[in-house]
Amino acid sequence: MTQHRPFAGGDAVVEANGATVGQLIDDLDRRFPGLGDALRAGSSAGIDGEIHAEPEFVRIQPDTVVYFVAPLTGG
Amino acid sequence: MTATENPKTYKWVGTRPIRHDGYDKVVGKARFAADLNLPGQLHAAYLRSPHAHANIVSIDTSAAEAMPGVKAIVTGDDFPALDITDPNHDVSINVLARGTVLYHGHAIAAVAATTKAEAQAACAAIEVEYELLPVVLGIDEAMAEGAPLANEQNYQKFVGPTDPSNIATHTPLERGDADAAMAEADIVIEREFDCAHVHQGYIEPHACVVDTGADGKANVWASSQGHFMVRAISAAVLGWETSRIKVTPAEIGGGFGGKTTVYLEPVAARLSEKAGRPVKLVMSREEVLRSSGPAPGAKLRIKIGATKDGELTAIDGWMAYQVGAYGDFAGMVGAMSVASYKFPNLKLESWGVLSNTPKTAAYRAPSAPHAAFAIESVIDDIASELEMDPIDLRLKNAAVEGDLTAMGMPHPRIGLVECLEALKASDHYQSEPAEGAARGLAVGFWFNIGEQSSATVNLNEDGTATVITGSPDIGGSRASMALMAAEELGIDVYSITPVVADTEAVGFTDVTEGSRATFATGKAVVEACRELKVELCRRAAQIMGVDEDQVAWVDGAAVSPGHGGGEGGEPLTLAAITAQAKRTGGPLTATASLNAAGAGPSFAVHCADVKVDDETGQTEIVRYTAVQDAGTAIHPSYVEGQMQGGSVQGIGWALNEEYIFSSDGVLMNPGFLDYRIPVASDLPMIETIIVEVPNPSHPYGVRGVGETGIVPPMATIGNAIKAATGVRMTSLPMSPPKVLKALDEAD
Repeated sequence: MTQHRPFAGGDAVVEANGATVGQLIDDLDRRFPGLGDALRAGSSAGIDGEIHAEPEFVRIQPDTVVYFVAPLTGG
Repeated sequence: MTATENPKTYKWVGTRPIRHDGYDKVVGKARFAADLNLPGQLHAAYLRSPHAHANIVSIDTSAAEAMPGVKAIVTGDDFPALDITDPNHDVSINVLARGTVLYHGHAIAAVAATTKAEAQAACAAIEVEYELLPVVLGIDEAMAEGAPLANEQNYQKFVGPTDPSNIATHTPLERGDADAAMAEADIVIEREFDCAHVHQGYIEPHACVVDTGADGKANVWASSQGHFMVRAISAAVLGWETSRIKVTPAEIGGGFGGKTTVYLEPVAARLSEKAGRPVKLVMSREEVLRSSGPAPGAKLRIKIGATKDGELTAIDGWMAYQVGAYGDFAGMVGAMSVASYKFPNLKLESWGVLSNTPKTAAYRAPSAPHAAFAIESVIDDIASELEMDPIDLRLKNAAVEGDLTAMGMPHPRIGLVECLEALKASDHYQSEPAEGAARGLAVGFWFNIGEQSSATVNLNEDGTATVITGSPDIGGSRASMALMAAEELGIDVYSITPVVADTEAVGFTDVTEGSRATFATGKAVVEACRELKVELCRRAAQIMGVDEDQVAWVDGAAVSPGHGGGEGGEPLTLAAITAQAKRTGGPLTATASLNAAGAGPSFAVHCADVKVDDETGQTEIVRYTAVQDAGTAIHPSYVEGQMQGGSVQGIGWALNEEYIFSSDGVLMNPGFLDYRIPVASDLPMIETIIVEVPNPSHPYGVRGVGETGIVPPMATIGNAIKAATGVRMTSLPMSPPKVLKALDEAD
């Protein structure tokens, strides 16, 4: 999300490592302190065309693109 | 009418059986929450705030306690104070105020008495001393520098430590260079829009009956979109363990997002606990409108640039949603819902803004209708300026698989182009409008969601089945569950009984919202059925005396080339296997629970022909067609019903419905006489075209259909009014006085 870009020096796309989304967030937080809390406070993850709510333990591959998006609900 | 691209054919999926719960609902046997009465039951009523913002200096209930029939009184002091970081903090101080009332109609105390009249009389006898606070009512007022706070306990979300604020959320989204693209565009159109608060308008008011026993356990019967949600929030507000509460879902008389939260149940539970008797608590229509969540109002500024051949090159948008007296996510979704067009350059920001008005709640595709009203109006003006057919302009720019949404994620397989082409080919679009009428159209999008669902499928001894889920049926989902189970098991849909079970009889299931029930709970049903088919084959192998791997499930029966006679073997029906369940291993049952990812985004395109009376400003809907991608329509009648329902609610939003507040924050039209929803005589038959572009993440291709239908109507009608009169309406509702004023100003 755009409001997370200041953590990463304004970049919209960054690379990070992890076998799960949670590990990916941990790696991002090590490099961009505070980003981990911000992502865990309110993000779903778009992976391979599917949006995952509570994505902490979703497994990802080395070339997976993860899109952090605001949590969605509905009416 | 169905315009199908779905190459698969099914025996049951896609058929239109009479819904299993239909008879009870038609003859009045279905039991809604207010229909239930228990022996010794008390009736409860609320004392509500006469002020839109005030500190509560004192509450004196002594006179009320002494009144005839009064058995229990509760105030906010009867509930634990949740930490500000607790996700249920806001709902806990909404069900009963704690120290401060935040809007007119905010509940302050509740009384349980032998009769409703006694409870109401006792409420009137409660003495409350107030210290009045400044009332914040508008978006501009709330966002102004130095504005008084609407709620001193609100902090902007996702920005770290901050001071209390009138801002709930701020969501900026960017890609490309929108400013540069605007400068280079051949045509740029910018307009401002505003939308009034509207209510979901469910016919059944909020209602519950709660019996808290001497063992401390509460039995709750409630009308909601999610009884596990009722259990969870009630437990949090009461400070109880979840296991103390059992919630049995009553039939629901409409929700549309408005019953995705809790107002009554914890209050009734505490009253019942204090009184030692069951308590019934039912809102009046006035209470529903004053004190249960309307959808946000909004202000929007939208600027769109395009080339002269109709390529949309940039969008720049500012959206502010008035979310009521508490922080709410509604403001986030407006910008995120921009997903229908390719827009290589984009700069959007949406805000959630507090005011001293009721806590807002979701309403079908929450926040997307406001954004679509503004964006689809501007796009229509661009088409008009470029003298392009409005469908062709949209087709030229329509998002397809791989195109990015505003929030940056690429679309999976979607069906917007198919919806536009279906409308273009329709009888409606191919026919000229009736004499004196003019035509408008617009596009709508909604994400749809997955979330957690559970299902248990029991096969009975005679080969019939029970499908048990935890999703309240708000739009025909029982029938959809039965159809998917029938398709999987290969048995008659009427031999299946779909049941919505209580919180102790089925696994946890999230709220029926986000068009998720047929998608996610349906997935659980299919998984349970597939597990059962494996077990049925295993049992059949025993009966046939063959190896398990020699048995397959085909058309509702186990077959093995080595069994019986004839080519391919003699089928062993499901009923023949269940009849021997005791001999082959016991009851046949399976349960599946999941957190479903892969909800399929849904698009809709609506088209309206309208006549505008230039003497009264009244708009008449002459013809209306809704086109929507359902993925796969499990039960087409209920897909059409959702499309028609969303259209009609959107027509009401477009033409008449609005919350009208006085300058001190009092809702002036808290009844269906003055808050006017459409009735049958206001409407033509809503024509429907179901498009089926299957969602690859669901076993039958389901996308979910409940929400998208309310997104396009406001712009559709606004565009039709523009075509009829030449006047662009930018304020909802486009009620007769507003249209007449706009016509007069245009003369």
